[in-house]
Amino acid sequence: MHELGKIHQLIISLGSYDLTFNLETIIMTWIVCGLLITFGFLASRKKGILPGPFQVIGELFVAQFFTLTEDALDKKLARTYGPLICALFMFLVLSNWLGMLPHLEEPTKDLNTPLSLGLMGFVIAHYTGMRSKGVKAYIKEYFEPIFFMMPLNLIGELAKVVSISFRLFGNIMGGSIIILVVSYLTYSIILPPFLNAFFGLFVGAIQAFVFTMLTLVYISVQVK
Amino acid sequence: MPYDLQTWIKVAAFAGGGLAMGFGAIGAAIGEGYTAAQANSALARNPGSVGTIFKSMLVGQAIAESASIFALVIAMILLFSNFTATSYVTVAGLLGAGLSIGFGAIGSGVGSGFPAGAACIGMGRQPAMSGRLTTNMLIGSAVCQTPSIFALVTSFILIFSDFSKVPVNPAWAALLGAGFASGLGAIGSGIGGGVVAEASCEGIARHPASVRQVTNIMLLGQAITQTPAILGLLVSFILIFKKFTATDAIAPGMALLSAGLCMGIGAIGPGLGEGIASSGGVRWIARNPAFTGTLTRTMLVGMAVAESTAIYSMVIALVLVFVV
Repeated sequence: MHELGKIHQLIISLGSYDLTFNLETIIMTWIVCGLLITFGFLASRKKGILPGPFQVIGELFVAQFFTLTEDALDKKLARTYGPLICALFMFLVLSNWLGMLPHLEEPTKDLNTPLSLGLMGFVIAHYTGMRSKGVKAYIKEYFEPIFFMMPLNLIGELAKVVSISFRLFGNIMGGSIIILVVSYLTYSIILPPFLNAFFGLFVGAIQAFVFTMLTLVYISVQVK
Repeated sequence: MPYDLQTWIKVAAFAGGGLAMGFGAIGAAIGEGYTAAQANSALARNPGSVGTIFKSMLVGQAIAESASIFALVIAMILLFSNFTATSYVTVAGLLGAGLSIGFGAIGSGVGSGFPAGAACIGMGRQPAMSGRLTTNMLIGSAVCQTPSIFALVTSFILIFSDFSKVPVNPAWAALLGAGFASGLGAIGSGIGGGVVAEASCEGIARHPASVRQVTNIMLLGQAITQTPAILGLLVSFILIFKKFTATDAIAPGMALLSAGLCMGIGAIGPGLGEGIASSGGVRWIARNPAFTGTLTRTMLVGMAVAESTAIYSMVIALVLVFVV
């Protein structure tokens, strides 16, 4: 039970600032990145009409998410944003599944990871909005329907970042706490595998998909 | 007769455990009863598929019960742990933990009964789609549990954080307010998410070819429906982790308590309203999948407008925390 809420941090003082590194999160993120790069290498090494097992999985991911992006945006924009959406989902789903392996933890359990991904989506969506509509039309949208609604519209936009990142964080964090506590209460007999299947595999995959879909929708709302 | 700190801690733990399980039992029971009723009506129409309908009723009820099981876990921890506290703040923390998961389990319990019921009805009408309906019901019910998981996270933080160094006076109100914010805030989103998932199960049974769009838009609608619950979670995090200066006055504490209440109660309506808005979108996408784009856009705009009252509540709650 004492593992709950314990974080290994590396704090470096730079003048009057303290730089804080959450070591576990960084290492786990590197592991996810390494696994994904290896997968990408294996999937594209021997490309052929008769695909190998890795190429099949890779093509499955790319085809699925490219179609999804095309449905939400148009064909031209899908070529720009398709790779982002696909990569985002693969990163998130692997991150959420990583915690099922012993001694490894989900990088998404740390609020910093979902929050930075959410901010990334936010910046990309608003940049896309400015480019497709023009800066003037983009700013004008904040003053609709009446000009004094501007602060509330602004807060509404920021609430999107909060909601997208806290949703992922809360689910993954909650799942891992439940697994930890129930395993402790039942002395790790019978229940933990089922809990891991539900909160790790199932909820992890759903939340990764939800995060990806929402990022895509935030972009598409800005375009139209 | 004056009581010492340890007695008060015990009092708070027992009261919190009782509140957690008492309130937590409300939602799941209603959801499960609804599922069973729908299963019976499906069986009466199509007695031939008794096996699949009965199985899916039981699976759906099992998932609907998980919110109550979260409440049970918290109640057990509160009843059987030995809390060695050094500050009266822990009293408020334990009480807040019980309130948080107790209220938080209501919405998800009621909500996840809806998709299970709709899936049973759908299997009665369209036995060939049983597999897809079960998958869709599982996804919908699992996403319905999210608000109660948020309440559970708040409860765990309230129970296991170390509050020995925070000043007693404003902090007790902040911790109670945190419990109210994420507990009450989860009610509307839990029920709303269920309404969306119900519409999607119904839609898949009505028009099996639209299953891909319907499941995707359902996930999207449920995710946005959870926003009020997430704002509640945010306010309760602020209330738990913000550093307050010690004071003798009663006003700052009351401001923090009412910040939690404001966010929690204010999130009930928007959660439900967004769910209703999204259920309309999902239901009609199932009937007319060719216009998925237009329907989705209207649905998103409608949900954003329904959400604005939750944002007003959050603004007032933040003003109460930071300005007043």
